[in-house]
Amino acid sequence: MQRIIIALRYIRRNVSLAIGLGILIFLILFAVIGSFLVDTKVDPYPLAGPASVAPTLSYCPRTDPECAQVEPVAYPFGTDGQGRDLFAVAVVGTWMTIRIGLLAGMIGLAIGTVLGFTSAYYGGVYDAFIQWTVDVLLTVPGLLILIIIASTIAGLENGKTLTINQMGLVIALLAWMGPTRTIRSQVLSMRERPYVMMARLNGMSSLGIIFREMIPNLLPYLGAGLVGSVTGAIFASMGLAALGLGPLREPTLGVTIYWVINQNAFLRGLWWWAAVPIVIVALIFIMLFLISMGLDEVANPRVRRAR
Amino acid sequence: MQEQKKLNRRDFLRLSGIASAGVLAAACGATAPAEAPAAGGAAAPAAAPAAAVEAPAASGALKEVAREKSLILMFGGQPGQFEDTGLGNPYATGATHQIGSAALWEPLFFYSAYGEGEIPWLATGYEYNEDFTELTISIRDGVEWSDGTPFTAKDVVFTLNMLKDGAPLLSRSQATAAAVASATAVDDLTVQIVMNGPRPRYMFNQLMSKFDTGIYLVPEHIYAGKTPDEIVSFEYYDPEKNWPLSTGPYKIVAWNTTQKFIDRRDDWWAVKTGFMGELPAIERIVIAPRADDSIMTQRIINNEVDSILDLRATTIAATVSQNPAIITHTGRELPYGYMDWWPSSMWFNHDAEHFSDKNVRWAISYAIDRQQLIDVALEGSGMVASLPFPEYPPLLPYYEAAKPLLEKYNTNEYNLDKVAERMTASGYEKDADGFWAKDGSRVLAPFGGWSVFNDIGPIVAEQLRKAGFEADYTTPADHGTRMSDGSYGLWLNGHGGTIRDPFTTLDFYTGKYYAPIGEPTAQSSRYNNPEYDAILEEMATTPSDQPKYMDLFLSALEIWLDDLVDAPIQQWMHRIPMNTTYWSDWPTADNSYVNGSFWHLTFPLMLHRMKPTQG
Amino acid sequence: MRYSKQYLLRRVGLLLLIIWSAATFNFIIPRITPRNPLREKLLQEASRSGYIPIGFDEMVAAYETKFGLDLPIWRQYINYLGDMARLDLGFSIASYPKTVWQVILEGLPWTIGLLAVTTIIAFALGTLLGALMAWQNSGPFVRYVMPSILIFGAIPAYVIALSLVYFFAFRLKILPTGGGYGISTIPALSIPFILEILKHSILPALALVLARTGGWALGMRGMMVTVEGEDYMTFAEAKGVKDWRLFYKYGVRNALLPQVTGLALALSFVVSGAVLVELVMGYPGLGTKLAQAVTQLDYFVIQGIVFVIILTLAIAMLVIDLLYPLLDPRISYEGG
Repeated sequence: MQRIIIALRYIRRNVSLAIGLGILIFLILFAVIGSFLVDTKVDPYPLAGPASVAPTLSYCPRTDPECAQVEPVAYPFGTDGQGRDLFAVAVVGTWMTIRIGLLAGMIGLAIGTVLGFTSAYYGGVYDAFIQWTVDVLLTVPGLLILIIIASTIAGLENGKTLTINQMGLVIALLAWMGPTRTIRSQVLSMRERPYVMMARLNGMSSLGIIFREMIPNLLPYLGAGLVGSVTGAIFASMGLAALGLGPLREPTLGVTIYWVINQNAFLRGLWWWAAVPIVIVALIFIMLFLISMGLDEVANPRVRRAR
Repeated sequence: MQEQKKLNRRDFLRLSGIASAGVLAAACGATAPAEAPAAGGAAAPAAAPAAAVEAPAASGALKEVAREKSLILMFGGQPGQFEDTGLGNPYATGATHQIGSAALWEPLFFYSAYGEGEIPWLATGYEYNEDFTELTISIRDGVEWSDGTPFTAKDVVFTLNMLKDGAPLLSRSQATAAAVASATAVDDLTVQIVMNGPRPRYMFNQLMSKFDTGIYLVPEHIYAGKTPDEIVSFEYYDPEKNWPLSTGPYKIVAWNTTQKFIDRRDDWWAVKTGFMGELPAIERIVIAPRADDSIMTQRIINNEVDSILDLRATTIAATVSQNPAIITHTGRELPYGYMDWWPSSMWFNHDAEHFSDKNVRWAISYAIDRQQLIDVALEGSGMVASLPFPEYPPLLPYYEAAKPLLEKYNTNEYNLDKVAERMTASGYEKDADGFWAKDGSRVLAPFGGWSVFNDIGPIVAEQLRKAGFEADYTTPADHGTRMSDGSYGLWLNGHGGTIRDPFTTLDFYTGKYYAPIGEPTAQSSRYNNPEYDAILEEMATTPSDQPKYMDLFLSALEIWLDDLVDAPIQQWMHRIPMNTTYWSDWPTADNSYVNGSFWHLTFPLMLHRMKPTQG
Repeated sequence: MRYSKQYLLRRVGLLLLIIWSAATFNFIIPRITPRNPLREKLLQEASRSGYIPIGFDEMVAAYETKFGLDLPIWRQYINYLGDMARLDLGFSIASYPKTVWQVILEGLPWTIGLLAVTTIIAFALGTLLGALMAWQNSGPFVRYVMPSILIFGAIPAYVIALSLVYFFAFRLKILPTGGGYGISTIPALSIPFILEILKHSILPALALVLARTGGWALGMRGMMVTVEGEDYMTFAEAKGVKDWRLFYKYGVRNALLPQVTGLALALSFVVSGAVLVELVMGYPGLGTKLAQAVTQLDYFVIQGIVFVIILTLAIAMLVIDLLYPLLDPRISYEGG
């Protein structure tokens, strides 16, 4: 209990973290409360409502003569050109998109961190092997592998498209090489530093050195790395979606942007169709960015002192 | 070859230098953007030629042509670039007539489905013998290739033999190889073709240019002695040699990945012989590759471009409303387009689980609310189709005769009760999730389509879901393969078939195209019905003006409808915006001489008709 | 000398190994799908002309023989390795009879011009911003207002490109909507033509720089914060080292290492990295070519472009590895 109070007190002083967590809580509340307000199985899909309605709190079609009697339906975010309720899309899509990002980003970063650490620390044949694998996989463009995998999986399942989770895993397959390589190079340099050498001379075990001496020093970098890989995963999912791969029916933010471009929302003046996914994607990124900045301050006492 | 490599490398270095400099300056941001409003802020079309005038011919002898004498089009390739650059030989593997080259290739006959029908061009007439086993064609006197060599019956015969010998490697070769036994030049102006049996449709299908079908005639003195292997890899583009030769009044003068320049050729045979009174008014055709829809529409709205490829239903209204000079086939009103020859259906794989049952196929058809597709997905810019044929004048009698059948088998009916009736009749029940299933096997209905179906596809999927089919719409990159090898159960596609009589489309469903799942086939319904095949076989040798033909048509159609081989959905619309700022006399409903697809082989008919708007 | 001979030999050996394995991978990947590129290509041609002729399958078979795709897979592999070693990339399937080199040379100038340059600008700008953001002696403007610019990094570059096109080309009409240069302009080595290319590159370049600066800034900031916590910084500060010197010599230089690694990786993605921006802007670069080749499964163009990427990247990595000791004196490759 006391710990929570201390943490809260700390957050009050750490503005970035506070705002970042604020956005996170806002998005979670939005997704949770929103899911009670809409039918998540119907509303974010085509034909849920009339097409191309601008954001309104009281909608009643002009063509309906009994308009006065019926209870007006609200479309606070409007509907898109195929009749999806964009509020429902926002509610469902936010959650789906974060899920893909977290799934792929965390798997990628976790694998990358473990491999990067161990290969830099142990070196030798093991290092050479990891480096070789990473180098090979990095040289072949990810897009190529993603498209081939996506279209092959889709082909195996009787013409069905990827599910959200499958998509996350496909992206995770390619999200670990970057972190592996960068973390390896960082550890390589850290290995030679005095405090690590000192620890080694003192007979500390390898694992002890990694966990007690190195990881704390790399935390801010890992924090930024998490932001990077989660964002990277979200981008990758959007890239796949934008090329028309992945589940076209599922209202993720990436698929929504795909439809925005594909159905020429700008040209048709349906600005809200574009605004909804773009604003939410931006919010997600800002959240991750601010949280990472806040984490720096937690991890690095010197930054805290400067305050 | 060596020469070309050098040129490439030099161009490459030059362009990379220029492009880098451009980006550097752009990114540093200070000078370039400030300059931009001054230079480009005014009408871009005016600025572009002006800028080019100041840049005298560094790239050779390319002359300047004023904007108002140029027809500027966007079409083809992949967004931002052509794939066929430098392939002047229409029979080279990657070549296409669609990107302006149709201006060069003149046929024996044109056929305009929107105008006067058959139009003799390089030929003056043709005649079949009584049983349609021999065909005699008279060639027009005085026709010349662009190098001055006369075009004669020998060129036609050479082309036919080249196709016969080049099958199956050469494009469009199989139909000729299958139909033609021998072709001979009786004299310079007479071609005599002996058929492999009665072929009443060969002349129309292969030797008349309409839409995208018809063979290309090639000059014997260039192609002679080449093996089929050499022909498919023969590039045949060299402005200095005037390659490719043409009989049409145009020649290609410049061609790179982002531009193609086709200039008028003033020594055209038809003016010399008096066949045409004058040269076309269009002095230069400039074609750029297609781009994102919103970019293309913006360019035509800005008058930078005169016409672009057809737009989606939802985009055309916005385009027309933003520039009063832009018209469509139906002027500035719905449906903003004309009916293409590609009516689309929900196709079924007749060997696939569930879809081999005609009750399931009919249930799917009853589940599709076609009017809702037109209203919601196409915003009113569309037409429902009840049969897989375009409703062109020559086909209307067949539609009329089919009316009683269509009352019995209503292919456009939306009726959820009938869905349930048909499904229960075949022993299906709804499972816990509300989807139809039989013996624990749910009807999975994921269907694919080309991305042009992105407007109706998602809506059809939702309609099917409402009717109890677990449907999903996808646009896989290998859509073609999946149709062809039978990995789909159902899919969206059009029919590039019938134009003048219903035979061509009905023939797609005959047993000769049947292949088991896993093996590719060109027409992929996998429908196999000997009774149907027998009728079609008789139709193949019966000319359409014999009374028997209609009876055959109706009996084939009844089988087709009872089995509902595929479920017709909509007529395909070509919604082509045409800008009247610089050019008038575009083909429209009021001025109907051909369809307005400038990528079709009938492009020359437009070129000869169109007149400058100004002066 | 910071490198032992033994190390260099091993490193070059590794380089060759990587090139060989990546090339092999590159050979296998497109072939694991059940798809048949020739059939797809010919089907596309055929459906362009509306109908699919009888005898289509024989046509496909004839082309398979022509491209050697009917050979057993090991024969194809051996031919492939031989061709790659001789840098003979063969013919494109989709644009036959064009060679793969022709296809590459068409797109390469645009790619280098736009993407390599914007990548470097974004790197430099982002690294500088990131360093300044982490630097405690920067003003509040840099520390708190600058980060808001990085928000653009949240939006995919192609979406930024679309929005920029919407505002600057559609609404304000001061910049062109896309393409490498004007549709009816005749290419020539002249000032107006250069200006035109320049004008057309503003929007895509701006979109890419806006979208990518954020990532670099974030990474650099993370590293700078770590470096600032080091004892030698405190020591140097206490010793009275001048502020800018402390920032540059002690801070930036030490935090730069992972950034440089990142740059090597990013440069390798120059070719494939901005496909969507190229598509949206109608920019005729190599990324578009690769994306097309992948969707069409044009084996030979995929192999050709990727092989070029592999070569440049593997060499870039070698150079980076050799540069490490120069950038960070704590690393050495002496001995083993």
